Parts: sequence; structure tokens; C-alpha cells
Amino acid sequence: MIDELTELSTHIQQMSLKSRGSSIAQRRRRDPRQPAAAWVTTARIGYDTGTAISIVLSTIGCSYARGPHGGCTMCSYLLDGTSTQVSADDLVSQFETAMTKVATTSSPLSVKIYTSGSFLDPAEVPPEARHRILSLIAADDRIVQVILESRPEYVTESVLAEIQKALGTRDVEIGIGLESANDTVRLMCINKGFTLKDFERVVSLARGYGIGTRAYVLIKPPFLTERDALFDAIDTMTTAARLGVTTISVNPVDIQRHTLVESLWNSGQYRPPWLWTVVQALHQARQEIPSNVVIVCDPVAAGKKRGTHNCGKCDKAIVSAIRKFSLSQDVKDLEGFTCDCLMKWEHSLVHEDLSKVPHDHQQ
Amino acid sequence: MGKLMIQRGHDGPARQCTWKRDSLSLSTPQLVGPTTIPDLALVYVTATRDELSKTTSIVVLPSLIENVVPVVTDTTALIVAPTLAGIDGLDSEAARLTLTAQTRLIRQWDVAGEHFAIHVPSSTSLSDFRDIIRTSQELGVRAAVFHLDGSLGPRDLQAVSLRSQLPRNWLTVATGKIQPAFVPVLYYLGFDIIDASYAETAALAHRRLWRMESEVVTSWDTARYCGCHACHDATSEGPIEQTLLLHNMEMFHSLLSEAVHARAHGRLRWLVESLSHTSPSMASFLRLVDKRVFDFIEEFTPTVGSGTVPLIGPESYDAPAIKRWRDRLVARYTPPEGKKIVLLLPCSARKPYSDSRSHRRFIETIENSIGPARHEIAEVILTSPLGVIPRELERIYPIANYDIPVTGDWDAEEIRIAADALVSHMKKFPPDVVVIAHVSGGYAQVVQAAQDGIAQSIIYTIREGSATSREALDSLASTLRDMKEVLALHGGRSTLLEETLRATADFQFGPGAGMLLVPEGTSVSGKLYRRVICRDHGTQLASYLAENGLLSLTLDGGCRLSEHGSYWVRFDGEVLQGGSLFAVAVKDADEKIRPGDEVIILNKSNEVVAVGRSEMSGREMCDFTNGRAVSVRHRRK
Ligand code: SF4
Ligand SMILES: [Zn+2]
Ligand SMILES: [Zn+2]
Ligand SMILES: [Zn+2]
Repeated sequence: MIDELTELSTHIQQMSLKSRGSSIAQRRRRDPRQPAAAWVTTARIGYDTGTAISIVLSTIGCSYARGPHGGCTMCSYLLDGTSTQVSADDLVSQFETAMTKVATTSSPLSVKIYTSGSFLDPAEVPPEARHRILSLIAADDRIVQVILESRPEYVTESVLAEIQKALGTRDVEIGIGLESANDTVRLMCINKGFTLKDFERVVSLARGYGIGTRAYVLIKPPFLTERDALFDAIDTMTTAARLGVTTISVNPVDIQRHTLVESLWNSGQYRPPWLWTVVQALHQARQEIPSNVVIVCDPVAAGKKRGTHNCGKCDKAIVSAIRKFSLSQDVKDLEGFTCDCLMKWEHSLVHEDLSKVPHDHQQ
Repeated sequence: MGKLMIQRGHDGPARQCTWKRDSLSLSTPQLVGPTTIPDLALVYVTATRDELSKTTSIVVLPSLIENVVPVVTDTTALIVAPTLAGIDGLDSEAARLTLTAQTRLIRQWDVAGEHFAIHVPSSTSLSDFRDIIRTSQELGVRAAVFHLDGSLGPRDLQAVSLRSQLPRNWLTVATGKIQPAFVPVLYYLGFDIIDASYAETAALAHRRLWRMESEVVTSWDTARYCGCHACHDATSEGPIEQTLLLHNMEMFHSLLSEAVHARAHGRLRWLVESLSHTSPSMASFLRLVDKRVFDFIEEFTPTVGSGTVPLIGPESYDAPAIKRWRDRLVARYTPPEGKKIVLLLPCSARKPYSDSRSHRRFIETIENSIGPARHEIAEVILTSPLGVIPRELERIYPIANYDIPVTGDWDAEEIRIAADALVSHMKKFPPDVVVIAHVSGGYAQVVQAAQDGIAQSIIYTIREGSATSREALDSLASTLRDMKEVLALHGGRSTLLEETLRATADFQFGPGAGMLLVPEGTSVSGKLYRRVICRDHGTQLASYLAENGLLSLTLDGGCRLSEHGSYWVRFDGEVLQGGSLFAVAVKDADEKIRPGDEVIILNKSNEVVAVGRSEMSGREMCDFTNGRAVSVRHRRK
């Protein structure tokens, strides 16, 4: 990175902190025994279709976002956290409460555990809570797949060993927000605070314990034009696959409150990605990446002005095609769509490279 | 060497140029668009992403993140330095870092600076930008690209302010969301290349653009009439987007051509003012631009002109030629000595005022009532939006040229402008002169509004009705007769010729010039409505020409004026050859010089070697290395 970009990274970090403002102090107190959210979906589990439960534990939130780094430029998960430390007992009851949603569901089950930060961060989830939750999972035979989320710095040999010991032969993945394979994009535009090397280390370390990795890939970080974003996403997916991740989860940016991305959006300088960009990125990456790496995408706020969207007429059909593709992995599911807005998107790809003014910006 | 060659003619910062680099030559103003727009003389492509075009191209380097190394081909007009999307949404520090990154890369790359355009975020601060310009200039960069988001809000205004900081010999590109009606405005503000991509954006949204608005076309049966080729040949089977794109481009081409034509005829400002009625945001944009970058627009606005200057609405009140006139009157005009009365008169539609029927009647009334004592009266004409006009300056541009809609009603701003002008004008007269206000209606409102700021006593001669009614003129006559007694006015010789020439000299060259060129005891002869010659002890110094109300100097007059230290151009040599001085030979010039000004030319040894008329502003003569700087009238042989 040239000096100016390094300085700009620091500067963007400060701007990101500023956008967060006092929002952290205004976080709600939650019932510490209730998970922040839990939902059940149909999902692809290995070669089968089964049930997936996603559990968002209510914690004090991402250490990286609470600290002086200000967190990532597009993320306000922190706001979903509570204002006080949550005890191990409470975290375990949150998990148990959530699991009642699948009390009667039959195998195979997939469990995804999210927090508003990192499940493996001891400051966020006390080790005792982690042990107990892992043992609860170990005791449930229906669960064949487990996904835990964490920033790379918390993925240590001892934690990996602990997971391996508890979950044995289960299909385990650690989800990491790689976002972009480009260090400048990740460090400067996203303020992610870790490098591709850090990510790479975790992938191979985890592989040594028979644990897979799930790379979260961001579509359209701020300061990228639509075309920059398209190329960056494809490049990130192929790089992640080359590094040996087991799953790629694609996340088009949605405008979250009190973030730098939101303030750019407010001033007309950012538009969430077009669905066409998402479709093209998935389509191209799927053809370039070996089929043992699964590519999934469940866009947040899709079709809404704060989420990835097209013109409004074609959004619904395209979003359901993306979901269908995530189950089938068949690029044909992404083909054959057309709409009046397709040419507008093509125009934006070319024109924004020169004008830098986002097209079709709505508020 | 990448070089911007300027052609003759001015109307604000707009210009006609040729951008030359090796064998490539691009005339400006020019529209630019993507390669999907047919028949453009200039297109843009992004390096490594779009296919390079055979057409002359602006090559955009992708994001700063990507580090694409630039390559120049035969068709590359410019390479646009990389920036970051959305950086305009952060603060000026982020913009500064982005620009500094660009200059660092330009320095590092193996391609000469002359090929590049810096990509300027509209959030850049003016002082940072001045530093960046200096660095870029050292690297050989002579072009800049600005973003306009088309909202005509603060960001677009800042882009214009930034543009105004560029040296004159830089090629300037406006990109973004630009509607056809905005094209003449941007051209007026000195943008040479204008992004017409909105023609495509709109066509894809089925929007047909017109001069001042747009319409959504769903079917050709219900669409409004258009005689352009594209619409004429449109069929319900053909792709509607393609027809609309061609139509929309017609609109861009026709507005640009209209602007170019208007500039050639000194009517670009008028066109811009007319188009400001497109939308309230366009109107406020022009007014704010007039405030924010007044000095920039004024600097390139000629001080002479031949056609009519229509001043139609509030957008004219602070037009550069108008506000400059008001400012110069305050700064440069000194009333002649010995005036006992200031007579305020209404303006007339016919110019110069003294040729009008109403003014002939006023003058007749004055002369019939007090005869030769007229020379003790300062005649001052009230008008909008120019304020107050001393009789001596009635033939000068734009006083002899302006045309306003006359309804008799003045709006609050017009009254304020004229009242302010009257108050400052009266401060220049001794406290014991008497003001006779021979005005009614809006003009009288102006005097009333100014009254508290005026130290002298004021006599109103009109109760109601027109200033030219029999009753009003009788009242004026009897007031003047009374005043003749009270103020002990006496006869004497008319001083109108000297006073006119002195006031004109002061107005053209600054205070004090009048006494240098028309000293006491000069002989002045001729007719104000034709030509007046001024000789000092037999040597002709200047002549006054009725057609533009200005003095033109002889070489001797030029020598006299050189003592004044203004309106000089210094050239790099001893003896001047030929009928023109070109900018390449100009070493230095008075920054006060505007296009159309009478100037003196000094040689290396500071001797006056010629006099003539400037074709550029002083700063331009220094910035450019080509183009005609002065058309020489007389030169030392
Ligand atoms: S994206 Fe992850 S690491 Fe970044 S702030 Fe949000 S929770 Fe923390
Ligand atoms: Zn659509
Ligand atoms: Zn566009
Ligand atoms: Zn047409």
C-alpha cells in the first residue's frame, strides 16, 4: 500500500468510529436469558436437504467494534448486543431456549451459532459457556453440522483442539468474515483489521484439526464502484477456494444503522449492489471454483432500498433464484433472467468508473 | 507536449480551444460518453476493463486500489488518474489524501505527466487543492476531471469553486449526472469536456430529454412531436431505447452548439440566465455560483460588447458585467468639482439616455430654466439593476446596451440594490449639495429607501404621475429656478466634454487616470455622440468614441498612462513587430486587465512601445503560451 492509502485507512477508521457515534451507549438492555434471535430454515447439509437453525446469542458484542478500532465500516451487529457482560449460565440458557424451536425436528440438523461478534472470543463468550454449549451439541445426535463464527485472532490451536474433542466427526466449520481477498479493500475500505495472511493461517490450522472454514464474502464494500465490486467479489471467491475454504457465503452489503456505509448512503455516495452484480458474481465464481466448495447466498434486505436491489420489478424472482442456487449449486438456476433494468446496470458498470457518482441511488 | 491552445473570444470563463498532444488534436468544447453512444468524437473507456477504442479517448484508470499501470496509445487524449468511488462523501482530508496518492503515482509511473488528468473529489478544500495544483503543474499535468452529481447542491457548487482555481491553460472535464440544460452553464463556467452519458441513463429509463425538461415515452402514438431524425424514423417495432438515445444526444449536441454560438455573439450569459428557469434548483445554482465564484466569472467577462444586453430577471442582478459596473462606479468614479445640485432622473428605454425623448425633454427643461448653469448640476440616472449612472458614463458598456422589462414596479431587491448604490454615490458629494429627485413610482421608492443614508437635503419635484408630464416638468423648472437663486448658480462654459472624458478615463483605468490623460487646460473638441479628441499642447492623447463610450489611446497617451502603473502588458523583447502581441511573448501583465480593455504594451526596458486592445484577461496572458493577447492599434516604429 502506498503511504497515502495507509493514512487514508487510519482516517477511514476514525470516520467509521465517528459514524458509530454514541449509538453504542444507547444499546438496549436485553433479557440475558433470551437469544437475540433464532430462526429455522431448510438448508443444504452435505448432499442432503435438512433443517438449519441459526442462533444469534445475545452478548456484549464484537470486541473489535467496541474497542478503539471502531469496527467494520458496514457493520452494526454491535447494536444487537446488550450493554452489559452476559454470564456463562445465561449464554447456555439462551442456547437451550433457542434449541426448543427444533425440539421435535428430525435429523439431519445444522446448527449455526452467531453472536454479535465472535463466538470464540473469550471476552465475549466465556470459555465455560463455550464448553457447555459444545457439550450440549455433542449430546444431540441429530446435529451433523455445526458452524461457529469468529474473527481469526481467536482461532487458536487450543480452541480448535477443544472443538475437535467435543464434536468429533461432526462436520464443523468456522465462519470468518474474509470479506475481500484484497488487503487494501479489507483493511482500508472495510477497516477489518486483519490480513489475508491471517485468514490463510486459520484455514490451514483448522484443516489440521479436521475443521472446515466458511469464508464470508462481502459484495460491494464502500469506495468501490459497481464494477470494482463485481471483480473484487469474484476474485475473493476464487482466492478463498484456492486457500481451501469449505464453504463460501456471499453477503451483499445492506445498509446498517450508525455505520460509515450508512453515512455514505445518506449523502448519495453509496448504493447497495445491484442484484445483477450478485447474480453475475455467483455465476462466474461457481464455474471457476471446484464443486466441493459450496457457494451460498442469502441476501439481507434483498429487494429493499437498504439491501441489494434491482428495479423492483425483477427483484423477487432473482432473489428466489439466488436462494434456489444456494441449495442446488446449479448455475442454470441463475440464468435466463432479463428486465428493463439490466441495461441500466450495464450502463452503471461503465459510467461509474469515470463519474464515481452512484447511479439509481434511492432513499 | 500536451497543450491547450486557445482561440479568440470571451464570454465568461467559456473558451474554444484545441487540445494537442503529438499528432492528436481535439477541439473543445466537446461532449464525451461511453462507446455505446454512436458518433461521438470523444469516448471514455476504463483501462483493463473496456476494449480500447479507435476513437479519441479518455482512458480512466480503475480504482486506486487496483494499481493499473497506464499505457498511452495514439488515440489516448487523456489518462484519468485513479480515485475511489464515494470518497466525495467523506471529509476534505480524505480528498486530500486521494489527490496526493494520484500525484505520487503520476510521479512514479513511466508516463509523462502531460498525459494525465487529476481526478478531483468535490469534497476537496480550496487550499489543499491549490497545493495539489502546484505539485501537478510541476509534474506536467494540465488537466482535471470533476464530478457533478447533478443535484445542483453544495457538492456541485464546490466542484465549480474548485474548477475556478485551475490555471487557465488546463483542460477541464465535467463528469457525472449532467442534464442537457446544464451543458451551457458548465461551458460558461469553463468546462471544456462535458459528460453526456445521462443521454443513455435517461434513454434506458425510457426518458426523452428536451431542452428544459423530459418526458417518459411509453408509446410513439402518445409521445409529443419531435422533428429529429431519430424520432421521425422511429417505429413501434424498433428498440425504443436506441431511438431515445439518439434523440437525447441530439439534445446534448444542440444545447452545446447553442452555447458555442451564443458565446461567439456575446450572449452566453443571457442563454445561461434563460436556462436557469429550467428549475428552481438551477436558478438557485446560478445565483449561488455568481456569489461563490464571482471573481472567476468576472475576470473573463469582456468589458466591451456591441449587442443588446437583456437583463430579464433576478438572475441578472449579480451578473458579472452588471455587478462589476456597480462595484467600479463605487471604486473608480469621482464627481467633478463644483457641482451644487445632484439631479436624479429616471432611466429610459432608449440608450444612450440622452438620445431618448424623455431625457431630451429633461435637458431642454434644465437648459430653459437655468441655461449655462447646467454645468453645476450632476445628472444621475437611476436604473435597475445597475443602480446609479452619472451622465458622463451613459455611453459605456453595458450602460448603452442593457435592456430591461419595464413595468414601473420594482422588486425589493432592485430597490435595495439601487438605494445602496445611491447612498454610496452621494457620499462622494459635499454635504451642501442639494439633491433634486425628479422621479416617481419605483424610482421614488429607491430615493426614499436611500434617504436615511443620504446626508444632503432632498427635494422631490413630482407628487404623482410620470416624470415627463407637463406638470412634472414645470415643477422641475421652477425648482431649478428657485435653486439657481438660493445656491447662487452662475453661468459659464459647458464642462460636459472634459468631465465625460475624465470620468471615462477613471472608469477604464482607475482613479487618477482622468487627470493624467485630460489634465487641466487640455483641449477637447468634438461631439459626444460621435467622437471627441483630447489634445495636450497640440499632442493627441486619446479619443473618445461614442459607439462604445470608451477612450482609445495614442502612443503619447499610452506614455502618460504608464505613470499610472495600471493596464500594462510587458513583453519579452525590445521592439514589437506586427499587429498582435501573442501570449507566448508576454512576460507579465496587470491582473486587472479584462478581455476588451484598452492596454499599453511595455518592452523589457519598461518603455511604452504600443497601445491596443486586450483579447484576454491579464492572468490568461501569463498562463497561456499561445493565443492572441493584445490587438495592437499603434506601435512605435
Ligand atoms: S463485521 Fe464482524 S468483526 Fe467487523 S465489526 Fe462486525 S462483528 Fe465485528
Ligand atoms: Zn429489473
Ligand atoms: Zn450514467
Ligand atoms: Zn427526437
